[in-house]
Amino acid sequence: MIKSKLEKILLKVQKPGKYVGGELNAVIKNKDEVDVRFAFCFPDTYEIGMSHLGMKILYSLFNSKPYIWCERVFAPWIDMEEQMIKNDIPLYALESMDPVSEFDFIGFTLQYELSYTNVLNMLKLSNIPLKSSDRKELTNIVVAGGPCACNPEPIAEFVDIFFIGDGEEVDLEVIELFRECKKQGKTKDEFLYLASQIKGVYVPALYSVEYNEDGTIKAFTPKRDGVPEKIEKRVMMDMDNSYYPQNFVVPNVEIVHDRAVEEIFRGCIRGCRFCQAGFLYRPVREKSVDCINEQCHTLCRNTGYDEISLSSLSSSDYTQIVPLLEKLTEWSVDENVSLSLPSLRVDGFSDDILSKIKSVRKSGLTFAPEAGTQRLRDVINKNVREDELLDTCLVAFDGGYTTVKLYFMIGLPTETMDDVKGIAELGQKVVNTFYKSENRPKGKGVKVTLSSSSFVPKPFTPFQWEPQDSIETIHSKQAHIRENLTTKKISYNYHDADTSFLEAVFARGDRKLNAVLLKACEKGMRFDGWSDCFSFEKWMEVFDECGIDPHFYANRHRSFDEILPWDHIDYSVTKEFLISECKKAYENQTTPHCREKCSNCGAMKHKGGVCFEKCKSMV
Amino acid sequence: MKNVRVWFKKDDACRYISHLDLNRVMIRAIQKSRLPVWHTEGFNVHPYITFSLPLSLGFRGERESMDMRILDDNLKLDVIKDELNKCLPNGLSVFDVTEPKQKPGAINTAKFKMRLSCDNISVEELYANLQNLLNADEILVDKKTKKGIKKIDIKEYFKDAKHYDTDHDIVVRVILPAGSTTNINPTLLINALNEKYGIEVYYDITRVDVFDAEGKSFE
Repeated sequence: MIKSKLEKILLKVQKPGKYVGGELNAVIKNKDEVDVRFAFCFPDTYEIGMSHLGMKILYSLFNSKPYIWCERVFAPWIDMEEQMIKNDIPLYALESMDPVSEFDFIGFTLQYELSYTNVLNMLKLSNIPLKSSDRKELTNIVVAGGPCACNPEPIAEFVDIFFIGDGEEVDLEVIELFRECKKQGKTKDEFLYLASQIKGVYVPALYSVEYNEDGTIKAFTPKRDGVPEKIEKRVMMDMDNSYYPQNFVVPNVEIVHDRAVEEIFRGCIRGCRFCQAGFLYRPVREKSVDCINEQCHTLCRNTGYDEISLSSLSSSDYTQIVPLLEKLTEWSVDENVSLSLPSLRVDGFSDDILSKIKSVRKSGLTFAPEAGTQRLRDVINKNVREDELLDTCLVAFDGGYTTVKLYFMIGLPTETMDDVKGIAELGQKVVNTFYKSENRPKGKGVKVTLSSSSFVPKPFTPFQWEPQDSIETIHSKQAHIRENLTTKKISYNYHDADTSFLEAVFARGDRKLNAVLLKACEKGMRFDGWSDCFSFEKWMEVFDECGIDPHFYANRHRSFDEILPWDHIDYSVTKEFLISECKKAYENQTTPHCREKCSNCGAMKHKGGVCFEKCKSMV
Repeated sequence: MKNVRVWFKKDDACRYISHLDLNRVMIRAIQKSRLPVWHTEGFNVHPYITFSLPLSLGFRGERESMDMRILDDNLKLDVIKDELNKCLPNGLSVFDVTEPKQKPGAINTAKFKMRLSCDNISVEELYANLQNLLNADEILVDKKTKKGIKKIDIKEYFKDAKHYDTDHDIVVRVILPAGSTTNINPTLLINALNEKYGIEVYYDITRVDVFDAEGKSFE
């Protein structure tokens, strides 16, 4: 049905290959032979979603169970969306081409706050009621996970179940429970209550919120006995034995990251105070060299990819990085497979690593000092010194590199105009370093790109109480950097302050924002992460119509004793630790990383990973 | 080292991928197959492949071909076919591997089968419109060239086109210039129909075969 309708519209849209499925390694099952059908929805385009590792892991994991058929769904781009609406085609899954409304589970991964409107729009395109309370039957269960699920409140009224933490186990437990409930003819309410008993499951409908007169939260309470007050995250502690796909669906059309990806460890030892991922994924858990090597080789063989990316939050912090690269190059060179290492830190960049990565292909270098001065880098606990950065650049220039990209954030807590100016000055120092390099490529100039985004305070970080700079302040800081640049060898670009503002609103929003999202969806808003679609004016209109002040969420300084909208979610890192980190930031004091010294953040209770590395080596 | 010509069909989901995407898909299939294919030795090492004649996005292809070099002279051609087929997505299938007899430059024409239908008007009406169009003294359409948009008359190219109607669509079979010198895209006829009658014709086009200057199948 959908297929024949599609044939008539596909040649009218850009890149129709995104909408037809049929890729190598896509999983096709017989729908009559499975008990549970799961529509894995990525609330962005095919090119973005197909690049996402979490989706690949869960897609393969679910499909490894004979009774589940998991399929992929992406947000159609606006040209396709228009054609689908015009031709009465509902949102469909790529494997079976069946409408999403026929699925038992509709799962979203929440990677980015500005994709919330896409979540709603995808439900709308599926002709599924948006609100959880309007979906009464035990079908079309809307579930969501991913980093943004750490503060589920802004979309709590649309989602039946949130998965908190690593999904590999908890997702399957909930699917299995659903299968049982369906067999026994249980109601959706009964199923949701039973699900809430599983660790790592948050069912927002089972909680009520009361507010103070000033709009802050007065109380957050379970509505029924037996519903947990705190929802603890799930963690996969044994990474070597955690499920990892042997196969990726290989897209026929080009996507953003068109390569094999291997996760080498989860978590980050560093504890940069702005970085949400650094706190959500504690403790650090590594895979062994042998495990990574085998998984990489299998993936390349099964997909035909000739590039593999070693993924993590900070790849050079992998304890066995050099032995790993040696092991990988034993076969990768012969098989014409190149290795890439994203997320390199400036202090982890050595000749050894450099030579292994460029043995096949050479690209530009990217570093993220995040702040322009040492003082501010200490405030955010980005323990990178300027001389380390410049030394690294020197190594890179000696090694033949000529382009360097530096990422910064502006609007960080305690930031002054001198700190901002420091960004431009650092760029200049990198240019000077190039001319100090004796082995620099002759006859070539150096190109330094400075890139700044605006700081967005996030839940579960030491800065979760901080106000975001106003849009005007951000603009004046951007102008200050531009004014302080003196050479064309440096180019400066910056992330739009308007979208960062909206991101800040939803990152730390509460349940009152559900009405805002609903209104935005009614007005046809979606793809807010895309400048083609984002309209700040329209958003301000929506806030106004809903009687909601967005600045209450983005620009307000919260006190340590305020009940935060996400306080019922527990990511193992204690609030006391976050408070002490926040106080240390204001004293320009750094905190050593997990391998130097344990700072007692709370993640140790999982009894493994980096917290116990030393014990292991002592045995 | 020997040159081989890989003959394949492009259909189903793979109908909707562009020539650049096809190139990428083939390179990955070769990489996955572990066949001893000669790689370029430049900065960006990859299997060296060339396609005889690109196919427009959306078209089906029944006799497409791609050339590559095999490092092992003793490798059986059937093995190449089987190994590639194991590594290709649905919609791309190799049906033969041969030693190339002609250079891709020998391609002179291509044969197309077009299925036309229209939601707004009946098949009979569409058929009458098509006949009217083909019987006109000239069929002027805009053709995109490197130098910009040019008006050309495609009457001559479609004068031998055969067409007939079925219950739900119209089939047109036509041989058009193709190759390195002149290319006439069959969708030009659709554009002419749309423009003349103010309709929106839906098309499903298959490139059935390609020929040399003597009208023999390209080998």
